[in-house]
Amino acid sequence: MKKFAGIDIGSTSIKIAITDEEGTLVAHRITPTGSLFHKNTVAAFESLLHEAGIGREEIGAIVSTGYGRKLFKEADLSVSEITANGVGAANLGHSAVRTIINIGGQDLKVIRLDNDGHVSDFAMNDKCAAGTGRFLEMTARNLEIEVDELGSYHENSRGVPVVINSTCTVFAESEIISLLAAGHAKEDLVAGIHYAIARRVARLARRLGVEDTVLFDGGPAVNRGLVIALEDELMREVVVPELPQLTTAYGAALLAGEYVDTEVERCCA
Amino acid sequence: MSTDRKARVSRTAALHLAMESEEMLRRIEGFPDNPVAMGYFYDLFRSRGKGESRPSGKGKAVGTLCVQVPEELIRACGARPVRLCSGAQAHESVGAEIMPAKSCPLVKATLGMLESGGQLEDLCGIVVPTTCDQKRKMASLLASHGYPVHLLEMPPVKDSEGARFYWQESVKELALTLEKWTGVRLNRKSVQAAILERSQASRVFQQLYALQCSQPAPLAGKDLLLVANSYFFDDINCWRQAVATLCMELEARVARGQGAGARQAPRILFTGSPPIFPNLKVPVLVEEAGAVIVADELCSSARLLHDQAIIGEGTLADMIPALADRALKPCTCPCLADNRDRERRLLTLADDYQVDGVIYQAFSGCLPYELEQRQIGAGLAQKGVPMLYVETDYSPEDMGQLSTRVEAFLESIRTRKYHKGVKK
Repeated sequence: MKKFAGIDIGSTSIKIAITDEEGTLVAHRITPTGSLFHKNTVAAFESLLHEAGIGREEIGAIVSTGYGRKLFKEADLSVSEITANGVGAANLGHSAVRTIINIGGQDLKVIRLDNDGHVSDFAMNDKCAAGTGRFLEMTARNLEIEVDELGSYHENSRGVPVVINSTCTVFAESEIISLLAAGHAKEDLVAGIHYAIARRVARLARRLGVEDTVLFDGGPAVNRGLVIALEDELMREVVVPELPQLTTAYGAALLAGEYVDTEVERCCA
Repeated sequence: MSTDRKARVSRTAALHLAMESEEMLRRIEGFPDNPVAMGYFYDLFRSRGKGESRPSGKGKAVGTLCVQVPEELIRACGARPVRLCSGAQAHESVGAEIMPAKSCPLVKATLGMLESGGQLEDLCGIVVPTTCDQKRKMASLLASHGYPVHLLEMPPVKDSEGARFYWQESVKELALTLEKWTGVRLNRKSVQAAILERSQASRVFQQLYALQCSQPAPLAGKDLLLVANSYFFDDINCWRQAVATLCMELEARVARGQGAGARQAPRILFTGSPPIFPNLKVPVLVEEAGAVIVADELCSSARLLHDQAIIGEGTLADMIPALADRALKPCTCPCLADNRDRERRLLTLADDYQVDGVIYQAFSGCLPYELEQRQIGAGLAQKGVPMLYVETDYSPEDMGQLSTRVEAFLESIRTRKYHKGVKK
């Protein structure tokens, strides 16, 4: 049976998903992008194949996506992360997903799906990194905690979340430092930051109109605090997939399967 | 500004302009199978980017902004119109020192260009129509910097008879100023000749534009926009001949069934804030991603040359109102009050050119285009034409995000097309 690979080369991490012909995820890997991202991608892909006991010749097609998509020449096709994310989310088994909120290392996206699971509209933040994964990393560093502790800090917040006015990463940094100095609890600050991001995301989402189930993915979706804040701001429940970082790579792998089909059609025609 | 500093500013601006122009031409020329006749236009922009000015017609130059200036009157005075709207980031950075950060990059760049003394062929005056607030305010700034400026008063609506009368009076005022600036009196013969000259140019442009209806379209939009853009400054007759030559080559392409992109390339209609060389960032990105821009609704292209003045009787008293009507009635600039006007035009174009989607560019700070965006997007969606709205400026920093958005938009068009095909 043929296997298909989707490789999502993001600014922070490289995500690889391998599926079989039925579209079932059979292997995956998440690894930091680093500076030598091409070398790192190749290495991660090879070691994943090795670990999963899959031969390179079994891979029917590779589709690359994400910021580094065009520089990974080994791919058979490259698609934008919006299309790949849409396909991945539509096939995760949550039937009524019509809105996807994706927070990446350096951008925010809101994607609308139509009833057939195709991307019908989308919105993306502009040039700056406010409210993205990078913003959360910077925050954690300023508060001297780990990124994966942000969720529990939020849940332990007993006071009122502190208002963070700056949406600019650079200004927010100094704002957080001065709020810390003013004696606010780290827990309340973390919650405030999550609400600031969630408000920004909700504004972007409302531009497209939010309907039915909202799926939240991307690295920051593992952060429970951010999920809570987002549910509050959107005033509805938000579904987080089991492996939120992997949705886009998974979608790319599914597209790799389709790519092979259309190739066959083209040859026969 | 001190003379020393001014010299430095001009030098830096010229250097950056040359770099920007080269970079954009490299990308534009990098497409496979560009028409041979496009060479004329590539050369034109290359030498202009390097500051090697070539004679672009006889007589004094009159600077213009916006499409509403009836340029025939300038030609009839023996002068040549030069549209000053700049698309250079090199000029924008100079303008940024005098204009607020929130203002439109086009206005900033144009002011910056005039400040830095770039591309100024012996201007005897500048005609600024009162289109948007920023252009209006810019007129005062230009005047305070010592340029002779004529404010061409434009009504904010175009449908009422009162507006029409007001506008015709404004155009008459302009005629008087032009006579004063050039020292030449307008007469029946000279105006008629100028109308004819422009009509001929406009006719070849329409011919070129109509060729884009073909399946597949023979010319890439980046080339079409470049051709129209060179009308800003080129000698009108040289330009007309170059376009005619291009049309001949494209007709042969159409006969062979040769298109500018892949056979299944999505057909795009481009609208919004005008891409002006070297800022063809978004159009080039769209076509690098595999689509073809087959039509546009832009004041730097189709809106510039689509209409001709129709004169019944050849008296000066008839011709000037006819010129005024030509410059205002068909214009779909968002500075005019009716939002539906441009939407209707876009829907017609979408239909005529069988487009798969619309890309709507608004420069950050360009309120009129930002304001119309939602309504137009909804109107198009209702007719099944998807639209991508991008807000951008002259800086290259948003290229990564822009390319992701443009590619995703094209992918969604392709998927929809593919599934429509499957369902059939």
